[in-house]
Amino acid sequence: MSLQLLISGISLGSVYALIAVGFAIVFSVLKFSNFAHGGMISACAYIGYYFQRSFPSTPPIYVTILFSALCGVALSFLVDFIAYRRLRAKQAPNIYYFLASITVSIAIVQILSVFYGNNLYAYPAIFESTTFFIGSIRFSTIDTLILLVSLAMLAVLIYLIDKTRVGLAIRAVAINAQTSKLMGINSGFIIVAVFAIAGVLAGVSGVLLGLKYSIYPTLGSQMMLKGFIASVIGGLGSLSGAIAAAIILGVVEIFLTYYLGSLSTPIILFGVMLVFLAVRPEGIAGRFAKDKV
Amino acid sequence: MSNYQLSLIMLACISVISVSGVFAMTSLAGMFSLGQAAYMSICAYLTFCLAKYLDLPVMLTAVVGLAASGLVALIISLPALKLRRDYFALLSVGFGEMISSIVILLGKWTNASIGFSRIPKVDNLVLVILGITALVLFMVRNLKRSRFGRMCIALKTDEIAAKSFGIDVYRLKIKIYVIASMIAAVAGICYGLRNRVISPDAFDWSLSAEMQILLFFGGTNSLTGSVISAAALKILPEFLKGVSFFGVSLQDCKTIIYCALIIVIINFRTKGIMGEHELSLAPLVKLARKAGARRAKESK
Repeated sequence: MSLQLLISGISLGSVYALIAVGFAIVFSVLKFSNFAHGGMISACAYIGYYFQRSFPSTPPIYVTILFSALCGVALSFLVDFIAYRRLRAKQAPNIYYFLASITVSIAIVQILSVFYGNNLYAYPAIFESTTFFIGSIRFSTIDTLILLVSLAMLAVLIYLIDKTRVGLAIRAVAINAQTSKLMGINSGFIIVAVFAIAGVLAGVSGVLLGLKYSIYPTLGSQMMLKGFIASVIGGLGSLSGAIAAAIILGVVEIFLTYYLGSLSTPIILFGVMLVFLAVRPEGIAGRFAKDKV
Repeated sequence: MSNYQLSLIMLACISVISVSGVFAMTSLAGMFSLGQAAYMSICAYLTFCLAKYLDLPVMLTAVVGLAASGLVALIISLPALKLRRDYFALLSVGFGEMISSIVILLGKWTNASIGFSRIPKVDNLVLVILGITALVLFMVRNLKRSRFGRMCIALKTDEIAAKSFGIDVYRLKIKIYVIASMIAAVAGICYGLRNRVISPDAFDWSLSAEMQILLFFGGTNSLTGSVISAAALKILPEFLKGVSFFGVSLQDCKTIIYCALIIVIINFRTKGIMGEHELSLAPLVKLARKAGARRAKESK
């Protein structure tokens, strides 16, 4: 039983990791918390759901994920165009970005709830059986799928950030935007790239969350909170720290929910985060500590 | 006045109280919190549950509730205010979720998601709430003009510069956060008295976000601006009742309309409608004096 819980926890944690990374990457370049990420996740979950339902025979899941990721990118650009572009041109203080992103997030949630209602929708079943066995251990099919997809995404992302020229440029802008501009990095392009990556991550995590839970308007905002907790514990600006913390968080949450029930879980998680902030504000990884405090 | 109009006035007053609390925190000290509704919840539940189960007068339990909200704010702020502003804001969302979980967990007393409705009735509630609103506004106005308020504005403008002038930034932030939370708690009590039912869903983070939106709409640094926008935007949707547009009732869309408005305001008039201007009677007084002087001259 506990092995099953562990697998389920890791798979939940890997989705949190996708969210935490999507959230952290915008933060690292533009230095504001992109609250709209939660709304985008919800919107992508709905897009994936209606995409799957719009065909007589359910399309394969990877097509849905791909489509939703593309829509995520488009949505991300749209949000940037509507809410952030002018602020950037004006070089407005951070707090306005933050307010704009919250407003966008609330607007998306409200649009979803006005037009689709607050009902829960479940994705159509994509597998014939919900579990499979390896030896005598039972695995949940959905959890395994989610785990594989998110690990693959994270691997691609780490490769992109660590090994490619674009990734290098993103890291440079994250450390110092002014200097990297002087070094000839096109910061406008980097911002577009970062929003594209965040959009893809929102699209993928939206569909994965939709598969795991039912979809409802505030799904994304709630899940983004977990991603945020993970990035605080992991130390923001550190990709590996955030991923590790997200997976630990997922496992802890599944075990807590199993043994204590789902109501006390947020209380304990929040308490843990407060204690963590009081004791070690720089996070597990401990880099870029100055930025956060 | 009819009961409906009275209840609208109370609605506006509650909105004004909560926004003036947020004003103290966001406009003076530059802190951004999305957990203020949680303090409304803590205080309202404590006040009315204690009044019900211990048979105490509401006046007494309200004091207990206020003190408790202040204490919770103090405990939360000690670690949380060491963080950057936007981290603090995200943390406050988590705090709000935690409080509603606790309320549901204590469902035996709080009646969980159904809502706690055994709230005593108060006579002449409108006058009471109007009085409280006036008092709170007076306090916040004085706060803005005092030395304390000027310290807060210095802190908001540039934290490092404020530090170098000898302001203890961390302690100042904690103080203003506790004050703002207690004002939110007052709004919580008024909310309970008006609606006669409180439920955890009523105090979720979208309520906190709404307060911030109302504040920024009216003008970040203008108390009068934010008060006017708090009252006006809260009442305005009531007139949209029954109006529909493309088959969707505009009342349902009120938050979407708010959001569109605020995005436009942020993008094109970043400081809010009133900006930093305060409405006051000073120009009128000046005008009257001028007229008086002229008349005095003419009579000579």
